[in-house]
Amino acid sequence: MNVEINDLTRRFGRTEAVAGVTMQTGPGVFGLLGPNGAGKTSLLRMMATVIAPTSGRIRLLGRDPGQYGQRRQIRRRLGYVPQNLGYYPRFTVVEFVEYFALLKEMPPARVHHAVAAAVERVGLGDKATAKLRTLSGGMLRRVGIAQAIVNDPELLLLDEPTAGLDPEQRVAFRALLRDLGQRATVMVSTHLVEDVGAACTQVALMDRGKIVFQGTPQELTARAEGTTAAGDAPLERGYSAVLSQARS
Amino acid sequence: MTSGDGTRQVHEHQERGPGPDDVDLGRVWVGVAAQVWRRHPGAVERLAGHLLRSPGLARALVTTPSLLLGWVIATAVVLLAGLLATLSTGTPYVALFAPAVAAVGIAFAYGPGTDHTWELSCSMAVSDRMVLLVRALAVFGVNAALGLAASAASGSATAVTLGWLVPMTALCALALAAATVARSANVGVAAGLLGWTITVLSGQVAAGRLTAAVTDTTLWPAYLAFASCCAAIVVYSTRTPRGTS
Repeated sequence: MNVEINDLTRRFGRTEAVAGVTMQTGPGVFGLLGPNGAGKTSLLRMMATVIAPTSGRIRLLGRDPGQYGQRRQIRRRLGYVPQNLGYYPRFTVVEFVEYFALLKEMPPARVHHAVAAAVERVGLGDKATAKLRTLSGGMLRRVGIAQAIVNDPELLLLDEPTAGLDPEQRVAFRALLRDLGQRATVMVSTHLVEDVGAACTQVALMDRGKIVFQGTPQELTARAEGTTAAGDAPLERGYSAVLSQARS
Repeated sequence: MTSGDGTRQVHEHQERGPGPDDVDLGRVWVGVAAQVWRRHPGAVERLAGHLLRSPGLARALVTTPSLLLGWVIATAVVLLAGLLATLSTGTPYVALFAPAVAAVGIAFAYGPGTDHTWELSCSMAVSDRMVLLVRALAVFGVNAALGLAASAASGSATAVTLGWLVPMTALCALALAAATVARSANVGVAAGLLGWTITVLSGQVAAGRLTAAVTDTTLWPAYLAFASCCAAIVVYSTRTPRGTS
């Protein structure tokens, strides 16, 4: 298992953002759904080793992120796109991706080829030497994805990765996710239910810090059967049905 | 995702004409692109990489001035004004300005709300604390170089030329500690400027000279002790979380 989480909680003052989450997952694309404030971002940030849990146990790639040496090993094999990904406007696309490849402690001899491959993979080859300040929001999002995949991560965490992408780019991005999910654990937090339906093999639905559903997209869709749950697509109706049941 | 122009040309070539079946033109293109886009580190970056034993830290070090271009320009302007004031009045204003502008730069060197990629940096194998330290080192080094140049140009006495480096160290440490504890560059700037104003004014009251804060060498142990305390605070406030339960 690449991700093993047991009774994980995270508090910010009196607010319990993540309340006793337990999950295990191996390679594949794992969708994390939920309304605003459900705790998705806090859960991803703990998995990205950016913040520590308040309580509970977490093991990533078979290692304990609470130990300095093991956390460093996890981070070398981790890819992360935060919800609010910032940029250095004066950097070019290649410089930005290379900078984070070096901070991931990739062997310097491999960096140039890996950077070129990542930039090409997200379709930014023709913008490789462009300054980041000249790029559109969707292109910047793809730069963020490029830095996340540059080290060929075994654990890839993406927080709202398709925000700002146009429909054509989103379709291509889902294909990229499916490809990455062949070998790595890809965890995608998103509001867009159709992204989950198209790309994810497993899905978890969070509400008020807890996981209220975990299964396949087909199983989530089936939850809407026999209910009057709102939604334009079957998966959306399943999403609404589970949330209604959890809150009732 | 969709490929760039180069890859598209390769795909078009694959569709158009025959080629050896065992040649992956996509991989060939990436290899070419890697060489074309390859950035060659300068001498300073290569030296820093050897000294720090980390190409990532070396890159963080040498890119700091470009990330904080506004600070570099502001520093040069302030020190130039100090140089002119020193030349016209005879009072070593450069020595008074240099620590303050360095403190401002240090406060903006790194951290949430200041570094655009702070959260991403926190997930990197090279620890964010190390990045913070090399950024602070870069800011301090650039300020020291600019300040020394301005002091030398103003013709100040050697003691004054070098004397402000010690209070600058203390003031930078104060700004860094305040910025990291409060997680706000503005708080760091305020603490640094307030601390320096109090120090300069109290030096004037005690010794009757505005520049006593930088010329009185008996204050150096106090400055260094204060800098050590602030450094300890920085280390504590940037500690990595231990344990998961």
